[in-house]
Amino acid sequence: MRDRSLQYVLLVPAFVIVLATTFYPLAYSLTTAFRDWDLTRSRRPEGWVGFDNFAHAFTESHFLNSLWVTTIFVVTSVALTLVIAMSLALLLRRKGRMHTFTRVVLILPFAMSPALIGVSYRFMFNPEFGVLSNGLAAIFPWLEGTAWLADPELAMAILVLTDVWHWAPYMTFMCLGGLASIPRETEEAARIDGASNIRIFFGIILPQMKGVLLVTAILKTIFALKMFDQVVTLTGGGPGTSTETLAYFIFNVGFEWYDMGYASALAWILTAIMMTISIWYVRMLLSERKMATA
Amino acid sequence: MAEVRLVDVEKRYGGFLALPKQSLTIEEGEFLVLLGPSGCGKTTTMRMIAGLEEITSGDILIGGERVNDKPPKDRDIAMVFQNYGLYPHMTVQQNIAYPLKLRGVDRKAREARVRETAEKVELGALLHRRPSELSGGQRQRVALARAIVRTPKIFLMDEPLSNLDAKLRVSMRAELKHLHHELGVTTVYVTHDQMEAMTLASRVAVMREGRIVQLDTPKKIYSEPADLFVAGFIGSPSMNLVEGHITGGRFEAPGVSIPVAAAERGDVVLGIRPEDLELTTAEAPPIRGKLYALELTGEATLVTLREGATSICARGPAEFEAEIDAACALAPRPGARIHLFDKTTGQRIAA
Repeated sequence: MRDRSLQYVLLVPAFVIVLATTFYPLAYSLTTAFRDWDLTRSRRPEGWVGFDNFAHAFTESHFLNSLWVTTIFVVTSVALTLVIAMSLALLLRRKGRMHTFTRVVLILPFAMSPALIGVSYRFMFNPEFGVLSNGLAAIFPWLEGTAWLADPELAMAILVLTDVWHWAPYMTFMCLGGLASIPRETEEAARIDGASNIRIFFGIILPQMKGVLLVTAILKTIFALKMFDQVVTLTGGGPGTSTETLAYFIFNVGFEWYDMGYASALAWILTAIMMTISIWYVRMLLSERKMATA
Repeated sequence: MAEVRLVDVEKRYGGFLALPKQSLTIEEGEFLVLLGPSGCGKTTTMRMIAGLEEITSGDILIGGERVNDKPPKDRDIAMVFQNYGLYPHMTVQQNIAYPLKLRGVDRKAREARVRETAEKVELGALLHRRPSELSGGQRQRVALARAIVRTPKIFLMDEPLSNLDAKLRVSMRAELKHLHHELGVTTVYVTHDQMEAMTLASRVAVMREGRIVQLDTPKKIYSEPADLFVAGFIGSPSMNLVEGHITGGRFEAPGVSIPVAAAERGDVVLGIRPEDLELTTAEAPPIRGKLYALELTGEATLVTLREGATSICARGPAEFEAEIDAACALAPRPGARIHLFDKTTGQRIAA
């Protein structure tokens, strides 16, 4: 019995550290969300303001803009990543001589730090000396002199590009795993039954990939919702506020404008969005599981 | 219905010769079983007929038409896989209807045809289930129904029963045989189970290391195996094979002396099936040895004798009892078939 209580005693330090570093700040930010706290005025949260901070968010165009920017970013980057990952997985499925080589090359983008990806893409799209801006201008002369990151749509496109570039390879591996788990016979049976390749893909392979694609989509959506690094190092949220994602906006509110109460409220709004989407995905996933195993 | 002909077909994977050049004709309406141990090339042969595997050289003809360059869907075949190959996201009904749907059969006709086929394999009540809700036997029935629903020219079956438990396998075997009788479609069937081969086949092709070593009726393969491999592979318990030599019209080996009608020679292998041997109390018995094991199978007792390195099994009466290590004697039954093989080539020696 003494051994047993000793076990718990030994767990206490780790438990305290976890509580202190995650649970406490989380709870603190939740209470802060309901208080007025301007860091330039006070070192501690001040009066309680009820739901004012939340209400403020939904009347402020700045926040609504960042919500819209985030939505566009999430939808395009998740969709593009999934399509590209699935296509690459189909191409890489057959084991060829280049098999190992291509897989190693593929994982490289994922090994890079997102902040550095932003920095390097900013250089590559520099209108004067960027390798991509100059390369594109060499192939398509009418692009000569395009200020890529100064155009709201183009800046967003490049932000999406860096994120897809970063994530698609990793997601490709997830899709490869999914493809490998599909019994070869179902595809061959369909070929004999008379299905064309396109039909086999949409009618036989894709339905069996549903579970894997859902998990991939959940992960990608959550990561896209948090998009921050490349915004800081690539666009700085600009031009204007055209690439100001929610995470970047919250950071600005908190650490540029020092409005901690408002920033906390915003952070909890983002959390609520993530949870809602996750629950929705997991529900779909569970009903999918049910179909597959019941 | 159609005949299938493989003419000088060869299969290589890079430099590796999987199937050496050989020909095979499967008659119209025949039930041909490709039998052999795993890795002997039987499945590859079937997949080449299906078009799932390309051939390196030679020709494959179905109903007299060369199909080398035709994709599987244009060969008018249907295939049943070992792991069923059912579409997990579709109901039984949708699974069976899929080949018809792909061939543009309209909805009404499709439903009628599916219902009719499902009844034939006793799936009528399960049409709205998904494959994951079915037992192994039921799944295999769905695979069968999907194969027969559009009455193809050829059925290909790749070890369709080997994922089922022993009891179910026997009853499905009878169903398959009945189905073949009813539909009369040319069928190629791959298995490593010699019992399945014997019971189902009109002809069996025994394969070994990519080659067909014997192609004949089950009866002929059982009674006149072409070589030592076939002799040892077909029959359960398998044929006794004893190495020895022939002198003075008798086959001689330690503990064995059996009269044979063959010329004098050394290095021969004598083969005799357990059911062709009986226990004897004769003075100078042809086979003597110590009792090694007794195995009651229900309707008989398998009696195994040992003498030196020689081990011989006989099928004795169920009531037979004796002590292990007791001296025991066997003799060929009247009319027993005695097989002789060349020890070095393994080939059968004509009697």
